[in-house]
Amino acid sequence: MSFALLFKDELLGFYKSKVMIFLWIGLPVLTILFHLWAPDTGPELPFTVVSALLVSSIGGTLASAMLVVSIINEKTSRVYDLFLIRPIKRWNIILSKFFAVYLCLVIASTLALLLGVAIDTFNSGLPSDVMLNSALQSLTLSLSMIMVSSAAGVLIGVFSPSILVGVILVLYGGNQISAVISLLPSMLNVPNPSFITVFIGVVITCILLGLTIFLFNKKQF
Amino acid sequence: MKKKEFDDFLVLEGVTKKFKDLLALDNVSFSLQQGDIFGYIGPNGAGKTTTIKIIVGLLRQGKGTISIGGYPMPDKKDEVNKLLGYLPQQVSFQQWRTVDHALTTFGKLSGLNKNELESNIRDILTLLNISEIRYKKIVELSGGTIQKVGLAQALLHRPKLLILDEPLGGLDPTSRNQIKKIIKDLSKNGTTIFFSSHILSDVQDVATKIGVLNWGRLLQVGTLDELIAKFTINKEIEIVLSKDSGKWIELKSFKQIEKIEEISPHKILVYLKSGTDVNELVHKIIQKLLSLDCQIRSIRPLSPNLDDVYLQYVKGGGSL
Repeated sequence: MSFALLFKDELLGFYKSKVMIFLWIGLPVLTILFHLWAPDTGPELPFTVVSALLVSSIGGTLASAMLVVSIINEKTSRVYDLFLIRPIKRWNIILSKFFAVYLCLVIASTLALLLGVAIDTFNSGLPSDVMLNSALQSLTLSLSMIMVSSAAGVLIGVFSPSILVGVILVLYGGNQISAVISLLPSMLNVPNPSFITVFIGVVITCILLGLTIFLFNKKQF
Repeated sequence: MKKKEFDDFLVLEGVTKKFKDLLALDNVSFSLQQGDIFGYIGPNGAGKTTTIKIIVGLLRQGKGTISIGGYPMPDKKDEVNKLLGYLPQQVSFQQWRTVDHALTTFGKLSGLNKNELESNIRDILTLLNISEIRYKKIVELSGGTIQKVGLAQALLHRPKLLILDEPLGGLDPTSRNQIKKIIKDLSKNGTTIFFSSHILSDVQDVATKIGVLNWGRLLQVGTLDELIAKFTINKEIEIVLSKDSGKWIELKSFKQIEKIEEISPHKILVYLKSGTDVNELVHKIIQKLLSLDCQIRSIRPLSPNLDDVYLQYVKGGGSL
């Protein structure tokens, strides 16, 4: 019950602070701008894949930075005090924030990728099975990277003493971890890269979130 | 662990807290019963907020035990949190929240159902005289009003133990009186109230029990009368003369008088030695002044107040 309430609250907070609108409109707009800038990516590299890389890179950075800034800000202004003295488990606070940001990014990424598919369809006709498969793989890759970036953002937000340190850590550390997701399946040359991508993403995310919850439970305010 | 039978609602025994090399709290022990209003006073950095944060579970004590409503802290934190209302020294809310949204969230998290929530929010806003700001964003409110919203969230679920860290700071005199009345009314209904304050006159007005803290040590706990009785505070007598012959200086011949000062024309202050029987001496002073051709407009012994007690304990180094 507490988790659902806090999750709804976080989504409402993003909606009220216009972050959600910016993501949902901003990322698809970036996809169009990128298409206009580099319209011919060739048949070997459909635009869907390019837009997936773009979205995961920007979306992942945005998600982790948003989480770091939000958590450190609320921590230093002592917003959490009023939550922590109520009969709720501490993990509710952390996970509700993580899933709210992730859901916003999932919707934004899906919108941007659908736009990429639409652009490819416009350029090359109706989408083929290969193109749809490619779009699905791109979406998987994109969401897995964003998931890991978000988890890294939450972890850094909990232990970082200041927003500046947090943002530096997340830009130079958090996003590197998420890059592993995109590189590993190719490096290993595995037969089912989408599955491996999701698997590695979920495992790393669980480890990072588990560590975050452990630290947050131990933390004294 | 099973809930124990108890007489005292809040019990601290030997609570000690260290921040690296700094001993923030040193063996603090006291107990409060239901309906007590406990005023916790001490200079900046004495350890008041640290004590409060340990009681509400935001910090963990290094040594010692805490029990609230019979439940040990922090082992039974979830049970204790249902009994607890807390107003921090600097109350802060997420920027996007309106008063209504903040109270709705905190009410639900404290376990209120939909019907209780609506009636409690309405009642508490009316009680604090801030009904008109219910749908306003909290960041747009004044500091004093945000403080009242903070108090509203602490009172919303009708807690049995109310912990208030400097609740009257930043409030205008009308609001301070209003909050003091609310505190007294809650106490009559059995709520135990623990509050820290720098405004000693406010503590004196409402507290039924007072604790004096300095350098992490609880120097004394008791009613104001008990604190005065436990520490020797020199008494004074103020005399206003309608006819001043100037001979009042001869009062010095009384061995019970420490010194005499003329604080303004026709107004003198007589400092008594400790252990002096004031009533007996007042009678002697009147007779002496009349014999010295002085006419008395008024004469009154000055009683020590909480400021005097505080200064004796904190600045005078009073300790047990």
